Amino acid sequence: MILKRPSLSRRAVLRGAGATLALPLLEIMETRSLAKGTSTARPPVRAGFFYIPNGVVQRAWHPVDEGENFTLSPSLQPLAPVREHISLFTKLDRVKVAGTDGHAQAGACWLSSAAPDQLSPAGYPLKKTIDQIMAEEAGKHTAFRSLELSCNPYEDNRESVYFDNISWYGHGHVARSLRDPQAVFNRLFAVKEHQEHGSVLDLVMDDAKSLDRGLGAIDRGKLEEYMESIRTVERQIERVTKRQSEIDELRIAPPSKPWQAMTRDEFIQVMGDLMILAFRTDLTRVCSIMSSPERWGSPLTVQGLFDKPVDHHGMTHGQGHDHVRTKLEALDHFHVQQFSTLVAKMAEVKEGEGTLLDNSMFLLGSGISDGSLHVYTDLPTIVAGHGGGVIAANRHIKSAQGTPIANLWLSMAQIMGVKVSRIGDCTGALRMS
Amino acid sequence: MRIPISLAFLLGTIGPVLCAPFDYHSVRGREAKGPVDGILEGELLPKHGTARTQGMRNFGEGWRGDAHLLWDGEPGQEMITEFRIEEAGIYEMSAQMTLAPDYGIFSVILDGKVLRRGIDLFNPKVSVAPVIQLGKLPLTRGEHKLAFKLTGANPNASTFQKSRYLLGLDFLKVINLAPPEQPVAETTKPKEVTAPKLTVTLEEVQPILATYCYGCHGEKGKVKGKTNLKELASPQDFLSRIELVGKAAEATTFQEMPPADAKQPTEEERRKLATLFNGYLEQHLQDSGRLKPVVMRRLNRYEYNNAAKDLLELKGDLYPLPEKVIRSRGYFNPASGRFPDTIQVSNRALGKNQIEQHILTGVSPFAIDLQAEHGFNNQGDQLSVSPILLESFLKLGRSIVNAREFDGYSALTDSLFRAPDEKDHTLWPPIIEERLRPFLERAFRSAINDATLKRYVSFVMREVSRHGNYSQAMKSVTAAVLASPRFLYLTETKKDASAEEPLTSYELATRLSFFLWSTLPDEELIASARNGDLSQPDVYAAHVKRMLESPKSKALAENFARQWLRLDQLITAVPDFDRFQIYYSRIGCEQWKFGLQTMAEPLLLFESIMVEDRSIMLLVDSNYSYRSDEMASWYKDAIPFRNKGNRNRFNTGSQRFSRRSLESRREGGVITSAAALTMTSEPLRTSPIRRGAWVATVILNKPPPPPPDVIPEIEQDDAAIEAKGQTLRQRLVAHQENESCVSCHQKIDPLGFALENYDAIGRWRDTYRSGLPIDASGTLYGKAQFQDVIGLKDVLLGNPEWFIRGFSEHLLAYALGREIDISDKPALDKIVRKAMAKKGQFSTIVSEIATSYPFMHKTNQLAPSSGKTPKKP
Repeated sequence: MILKRPSLSRRAVLRGAGATLALPLLEIMETRSLAKGTSTARPPVRAGFFYIPNGVVQRAWHPVDEGENFTLSPSLQPLAPVREHISLFTKLDRVKVAGTDGHAQAGACWLSSAAPDQLSPAGYPLKKTIDQIMAEEAGKHTAFRSLELSCNPYEDNRESVYFDNISWYGHGHVARSLRDPQAVFNRLFAVKEHQEHGSVLDLVMDDAKSLDRGLGAIDRGKLEEYMESIRTVERQIERVTKRQSEIDELRIAPPSKPWQAMTRDEFIQVMGDLMILAFRTDLTRVCSIMSSPERWGSPLTVQGLFDKPVDHHGMTHGQGHDHVRTKLEALDHFHVQQFSTLVAKMAEVKEGEGTLLDNSMFLLGSGISDGSLHVYTDLPTIVAGHGGGVIAANRHIKSAQGTPIANLWLSMAQIMGVKVSRIGDCTGALRMS
Repeated sequence: MRIPISLAFLLGTIGPVLCAPFDYHSVRGREAKGPVDGILEGELLPKHGTARTQGMRNFGEGWRGDAHLLWDGEPGQEMITEFRIEEAGIYEMSAQMTLAPDYGIFSVILDGKVLRRGIDLFNPKVSVAPVIQLGKLPLTRGEHKLAFKLTGANPNASTFQKSRYLLGLDFLKVINLAPPEQPVAETTKPKEVTAPKLTVTLEEVQPILATYCYGCHGEKGKVKGKTNLKELASPQDFLSRIELVGKAAEATTFQEMPPADAKQPTEEERRKLATLFNGYLEQHLQDSGRLKPVVMRRLNRYEYNNAAKDLLELKGDLYPLPEKVIRSRGYFNPASGRFPDTIQVSNRALGKNQIEQHILTGVSPFAIDLQAEHGFNNQGDQLSVSPILLESFLKLGRSIVNAREFDGYSALTDSLFRAPDEKDHTLWPPIIEERLRPFLERAFRSAINDATLKRYVSFVMREVSRHGNYSQAMKSVTAAVLASPRFLYLTETKKDASAEEPLTSYELATRLSFFLWSTLPDEELIASARNGDLSQPDVYAAHVKRMLESPKSKALAENFARQWLRLDQLITAVPDFDRFQIYYSRIGCEQWKFGLQTMAEPLLLFESIMVEDRSIMLLVDSNYSYRSDEMASWYKDAIPFRNKGNRNRFNTGSQRFSRRSLESRREGGVITSAAALTMTSEPLRTSPIRRGAWVATVILNKPPPPPPDVIPEIEQDDAAIEAKGQTLRQRLVAHQENESCVSCHQKIDPLGFALENYDAIGRWRDTYRSGLPIDASGTLYGKAQFQDVIGLKDVLLGNPEWFIRGFSEHLLAYALGREIDISDKPALDKIVRKAMAKKGQFSTIVSEIATSYPFMHKTNQLAPSSGKTPKKP
C-alpha cells in the first residue's frame, strides 16, 4: 500500500493542474453554441445531486435566521461567492424504517420514491429514486438517460451495495455508480467505442428472449434488467452517433492522471467537471455524485486538511469531544467548498441568455442530519441554481415541522417537466419561489 | 425479509455444554505420498557457493513457483546440494532445468555416482528445458548428495563474467515407485447426535412463560424488543408467527433470556421451553417449509475471469485480480495430499498497481461486486445489470479476442479461429456448426438447440461476408457469446408451479462447478450432464471428489475464504503511523504496510486444511501456521525486524513462508491471527466490539443486529482512556447504561474482550501500555466461562458444533448464492451431523453440501403463500 505523502499545498496542486479537466476547456465551451437541434428552444433544465455521507455537525450548519439574504453559518461560509444562487432548505425529513442499517438506508433510500411503509424484499423503503424518475422523462431527449458517479476512493469492499449507491432503477436494481473518471470520460465522449457495441446486440437479445420462456417470476425481473440495458445501449448508440460531429469538434481531452493519484479535492472536482461537461453538451440532464460512500469505516486521507487519515464515520460518533467536532466541522466545510466550487463553474458556463446554473438544480444533501444519533429529520439540503428561472434563490426556507423531503423531490420533478403529483410520502409540492 | 434467526442455535441439543474437545489435529483425509508429490523445488534446496534463487516471472510462466536455483562456476566446478529420503525404496528421478544463452554443459552425480553426462543447457532464448530423466535408482533412508558438474559449454554459448557458465534448476522430481500401503484412516464410530424427544404440551409450558417471560413480553402493555409472547396462545399462533418462535427458541436455548439479573428458570424448565419452541419450528418446516428461491445470478468478475479463461483455453488470466491474494503457482495440489512445507509467496493485493506478466493487453475488468451485508458477492438479488455494466461486458468480450496476444494465448486458435481449408465460403456453414456446437454447449452450460445454433452460424456468415475474414468473424461471435445472458447468468429453468424439483443435470453440473471451482464445468462434467450419468449418486460423488482434488479448487480459498474472513478489510486498516511504526516500512518513496504479509497467513492455513483434508477446527486453533521469517519475528520479538528503522524495515517482495509449529496456544487459528486482529482495530486502540462482532459473524455465523441509533462516544485513543485510570473494557462497560445495550453486548463483548491481550496490530501484550492489567475473562451464553483467549478457544473447541455449524452455513450460503434461512435447517442438521462424525473434516463438509437437498433442488419463484407441498430432505 502506498500511503499518500504529506499533502502538497493547495497552490502546488493548482500549479500541477493536470488532474482536473482543465478549466480552459470549460471556457472554450462558453463560446460555442449548444447542440444545434435545440438552439431555438429554451435550454433544458438539468438536475444534479451531490451526496455527502454521515450527516453534518448540526450547530455549525444551521443559520441563525431565515428568509432572504440569511446569515451564512460557519459550515456554509464557502457558499458566500455564489450565495445569490443558493436556496437552503431546513426541516425536511425522511421517515426511518426500523430493520435495516441506519447508514445503508440513509444513502440508498435518500432519493427513494418509496413511502416508508413500502418495503422492498430486502427490507428497505426503496423504489425508483427521484433522479431516475426524472431521467425517464429527461432521458427521452439525450444520449444518456443519466449519469451516476462516485468519488469512492476505498480499495476494500467493506460495505455492501447499499452504501455506495444512491441511485436505483427500482428495488434490487441499482444504477451502479462509476468510480473512474477515465471510464466516465470514455462513456461520454468516445463515440467509436459506442458504435462498436452495436453489432452483437440483436444476437444477445435473441438469447435473452429464448431464456425468458423458462424462467420464474423473480428471475424474469432480473433478465428484464438485462434486456432493458440492451435497449438503452441501442438508443445510446443511435443518439451518440447523431451527436458525433459536434462532440469531435469540442476536442475534449481526458483527465490526465488516474484517480488513484488524485487528491480528494481533485477527485471530486474532476467528477463535477464531467457532470458539467455532460450537462453543457446536453448528453444527459440528470446526474448524481457521491462525494464519498456512506459509513465505510476505513480511514481516509484528505490532503491539506488533516495530517493523518481520518475516519469520517467514526468521528461523527465522537463529536461530543471538542477536538473531534472541530475536525468534523472542517470536513463539512471541505465538502461545501467542493460543492461551491462546482456551482461557481456552472455559473461561468454561458447558455442562451443566461448560464448553465440558471437552468439547473444542483442539490447538496445527506441522508442523515446528525451522524452521532443517525437522525433522519432536518436533513442538510441545499439547492443551487434557478431551475430555468423558477427558483428564487439566496434564501433560507425553513419548512414546518415534519415536512417530508419527498415534497422537495416532487417540486424538483415537476420543474424537470415530469408529470407527477405524488412521490413517496409527500404531502404536496414545496414552494420554490 | 431476512429471518433473524441464526440456525446455529436452533438445535435442541446444543447449548453451552462443555464436553471434551475431540482430537481434530490428527484428522487427515489425504495422506502424503513420499516427498511433496515428488517435487523438490530447486530454489528451496540447500544452497552452497554461488547458488541462489532467481525469480523467473519476467521470463514467462513455465517455472514452478516462478523461481529456480541459479548457480555459476568455471568448468570443473560443481553445484552441490542435498535432499532427504524418509523411506528406502526404488525412486524415479527427473529434473526440470532452465535453458539460456550463457548456460553450460553438465553431468549429474548422485552420491558420487554419475547418473547422466552431457546435459547441454544452451539455448538462444531463456526457456524451460524438456524434463530430463535421471533414471530409476534405489535410495536409502537419509541424506543424499546431488552434484551438477560443469564439464564444458556449447560452442554457441556466451560466457558469464569472462570464463564462467550458469546452471538453472527449476525442480527435481523424486518419485517412490512402490510406496507402502497406507493404513486406512481409522474412524471411530460416531455417536449419533439425537435430540431427546421430550414431548411437552403448551399447557405445561404456559405457566413457565407466565413466571419468567410475560412480565416483559406481553403483560401490562410491555412488549420489550417488540416481542409479545402472549400472542402465542394456540398451536396455530405458533405456526403463523414462526419468526417470533425462532427468536424465542434462540433466546431460551442460548440462555440469552431471561436477562442475567432476572429470575432464572431451572434446567428442566428451560429444556421444556426450548423443546416446545423447537418442536413448532420443526412442524412448520415439515408442513410448509419451502426453500428460499435462488435468484438467477450474474457472474462476478472473479468467476467471469475463470469462465472466459476456461472457455477459450487461455494461458493465464484476463486481467489482474486483487481477489487472488496469494501469488504463487504450482504449490496447490490437493491430489498430492500434502501442502508444501515452504512456499514462496508474494501478495500484491495491498499494492495499488498490480503488475502482472500474463494478462491480456487492453482488457480491463468490470467493477468488483460488493459483498452482501452478511454474505458473499454471489447473491443474485444483489447482482444487477445496468446499461453501464452491459457496456462493460460488450467491451470486455471484444477486448479479449482482439488483444494482441490473443492468438498465442488461446489454445483454440487452431480448432476454432483458423479458417477452414475449404476455400468456398458457401460450404462453410456446416463446418462452423460443427465447431460452434460444443463451444456454445460449454459456454452456456446447456444443450444447444438447432434454432440457437442457426442464429449463431448465420451471425458468423454475415460477419464473414462483411469483412471477408473468417478468423475475425469467429472472434466477433466469441465476443457476443461472452456478452450473452446465457453465458453471464447462472439460470435454472422453472417448469411449473410445484414447490421444488431436482435440478436438471446441466444445472447441477453448473452449480457444482461454480461452487467448487468458480468457473464453467469442464468437459468431463459436461459429458456426465449430457449423457445423464450425473444423476447417479456414485458418479456425482466421484465428480465431487475429483473436483476437490483438482488445483482448480483453489477457488474456494481465493473466492470463498477471503470473503468469509472479510480479509480485504485489512487493505484499508491504518494503524496510527506514530504509535505503530513497526507496521510501516518505507521502500524507495513508498510507504508499505505489514498487513501485506499477515494477510497470507489465514489463507495459507485454510489452503493447507483443504489440500491435506484436515479438520476445519484448525481454523479455531491450530498447532501450526505458515509464516515468513519476518512474520515469525512479528509474533515473537519484543521489537521485530531487528530494530530496523522505517527505511526498508521489512520486505515487500516475494517471501518464503514456512510451516512452523506453534509453541503457544496464544497463536494458531484465524481468530488470533495478526490479520484479523489488525483489521478489526481502530488506528489508536483495539475495538473489542468490532472484534467481538467479527468472531460472532465469522466463526459462529451469528451476526449482531445493526447498532442502535444512539451510540455512546468512546475516546478514539486508548491513551486518553488510560490517563483516567480506566481500561478500555471498564470504559465500554460503564457506557452500557441500559438493559437494551447490555442484552446485546453480552453476546458480542466477551468474544472481543477475550482478545484484549492483542494490541491494535495483533501483537501480544501482558498489560496495557499504561501498565493497567488486562482482563480477558468472560462468559459465553450465560454459562461457559473462560479466563483468557486460550480459555475462549477451549470453549469453542469444547463445543465444536458451534463452529462446524457456523462454517457450514457460510459455505452453504456461498454454494447456493443466497442467504440461508430456516427452511435449510433440516439439511444443515444433516451436514453438521456428518461433519461432527468426521471431526470437522473439510471434504466431508463440502461433499455433504454438494449432496444436500437445497443444493440439488430448485424452488419455484411464485408467491410464498401459494401451494403447500411437504418436502423430504
